[in-house]
Amino acid sequence: MIAKSFNIVLLAVKQLTRHRIRSLLTILGVAAGMFLFATVETMQGSLRRATQTTADDTTLVVYRDNRFCPATSRLPEHYESTIRKIEGVREVIPIQIVVNNCGASLDIIAFRGVPPDSLTKYAPQIQVLDGTVESWKQRSDAALLGRHFAARRGLKVGDRFDAAGVVVHVAGIIDSPEPQDNNVAYVHLPFLQQASRAGLGVVTQFNVRVTSAERLDPVAKEIDEYFRSEQAPTRTRPEKAFFADTAQELVELVGFTRWLGLGAVAAVLGLVANAVLLVVRARVKENAVLQTLGFGQRAIALLVAVEGVLLGLAGGVLGVLSALAFLRWQSITIGNEGVTLAIMPDLDVVLRGLLTALALGLLASLYPAWQAARRPIVSSLRAV
Amino acid sequence: MSSYESFIRCRGVTKTYHKGNTPVTPLSALDLDVPRGTFLALMGPSGSGKTTLLNLIAGIDSPTSGSLHVGGVDIAKLKRGQLTKWRASHVGYIFQLYHLVPILSAFENVELPLLLAPLSRKERHRQVQVALELVGLGDRSDHRPSELSGGQEQRVAIARAIVANPALLVADEPTGDLDRESATQILNLLRELVREHGKTIVMVTHDPRAAAAADTVLHLEKGRLVEAADLNMQAA
Repeated sequence: MIAKSFNIVLLAVKQLTRHRIRSLLTILGVAAGMFLFATVETMQGSLRRATQTTADDTTLVVYRDNRFCPATSRLPEHYESTIRKIEGVREVIPIQIVVNNCGASLDIIAFRGVPPDSLTKYAPQIQVLDGTVESWKQRSDAALLGRHFAARRGLKVGDRFDAAGVVVHVAGIIDSPEPQDNNVAYVHLPFLQQASRAGLGVVTQFNVRVTSAERLDPVAKEIDEYFRSEQAPTRTRPEKAFFADTAQELVELVGFTRWLGLGAVAAVLGLVANAVLLVVRARVKENAVLQTLGFGQRAIALLVAVEGVLLGLAGGVLGVLSALAFLRWQSITIGNEGVTLAIMPDLDVVLRGLLTALALGLLASLYPAWQAARRPIVSSLRAV
Repeated sequence: MSSYESFIRCRGVTKTYHKGNTPVTPLSALDLDVPRGTFLALMGPSGSGKTTLLNLIAGIDSPTSGSLHVGGVDIAKLKRGQLTKWRASHVGYIFQLYHLVPILSAFENVELPLLLAPLSRKERHRQVQVALELVGLGDRSDHRPSELSGGQEQRVAIARAIVANPALLVADEPTGDLDRESATQILNLLRELVREHGKTIVMVTHDPRAAAAADTVLHLEKGRLVEAADLNMQAA
């Protein structure tokens, strides 16, 4: 049984490889659809990772109430000492954020100013690829650039660059498992406060680490309650909820792309089904001859289905890998209201893309396979 | 079964199909006996039912009524799946227009009937080579159909029909698309298969010269046998 099926698969491969132009055109069409599908899936996955809170998340973001753009969120830096006293708070880091554009943009430049000695507490996950943290600490205008940021702007250690009115010296290139870290420039907090004209003593937000995930809500409520009657009231949310709220336009935009993904799936399904159906119609006599030679209905159906699956799979591999290469090479980052979303493909997207291509190839072949298998031999042999 | 017993035995075989709402009966209550190792030619005008009879004997169509024994098996009672398996090992079909798969080489075309057989790759290749040698095309195994002449294509088709070593070969106008020289070679090959390999061949033809190569010629008209040209045949 396995040997027979293997021989049928080999025969299907011969049919595909020896009708090169037809197969290639179909595969390219499928690849285009699967490229779009994989890109959309990557965007959806990146958004999911950035906005869905998990049990391991213990970070709160304290922002100015009713503000969204970093340029308008101005909080007194002395709030830090008050927040630090609240029960359940493990660490508080004041952060100044400066961006070149608060609207939705594909080329956002974001500076994060943190106290030099707090960087490793704020972002313990970062790894320095080039340069050193020490050289960053020693120089007040030094910046550590996320690797995507550096790649997008073609910057390396020792360069100077000017963006959003801030001129910095590149002291290092960093890599981080957190996608946002790879798209920002870390600078010293006092330097950024002065360079952005916010002034010393004013920050954009506080990142607050709590002792456990259960403490997120009580601590957030207590912080907001404490500053409710102050001149600068706060709104405190878990980090990922903050992202989802702040980048609402971005979330809606990326959410809409789901329909593009569905459209791509429908196009691939129609393309493979049409290609396989045309093959079946062109091979009415050939299939009848095979049946005369002893190929049963199941063997004919398998032969047709394997062709459809191989077309879908070949196009899927080409499309998904192209999307993977394109997104890695381009390092696409969408920014909105100062938060950035890195569109980074992962293994999950690759596997989902390949499985989808496989399923679409099979689904598209079912009707043509059934049609090929059920045709009576005699009338097929007489077909023109 | 001895060679004097019927290898093919038809009793009351009727085939009716519908063209729109009109029933058409190309074969009506036909009785026929063909001994093993016979080269039988079926002749008759168009629409006389000879190809229908050939298709029934080959098991690619089923009679509406009657019994049809081939090699002791009543193939009229077999279901589609059973008939497919029976066909794979008992019948080789030779078409007028060869019907080779154009993208496959001569070797691969001949190999097709063995792809579903429980054979090792080595054994399969040996059988294909033997069949190609038998039809005189051992040196053309890598050629595609488009690189062969009509006579060579038909010889590949014959190799494909005999590669699984079936006892029965059916041929639908095997020389109908060939020049005289190629037709003679094909008929000689068919005769050799009967004489030296003990095959039973049923051939449909319009060509009296082709029919003359057969041991026996039967004429059909309006779905009935009208004349037997050999005493070995008992046409009722």
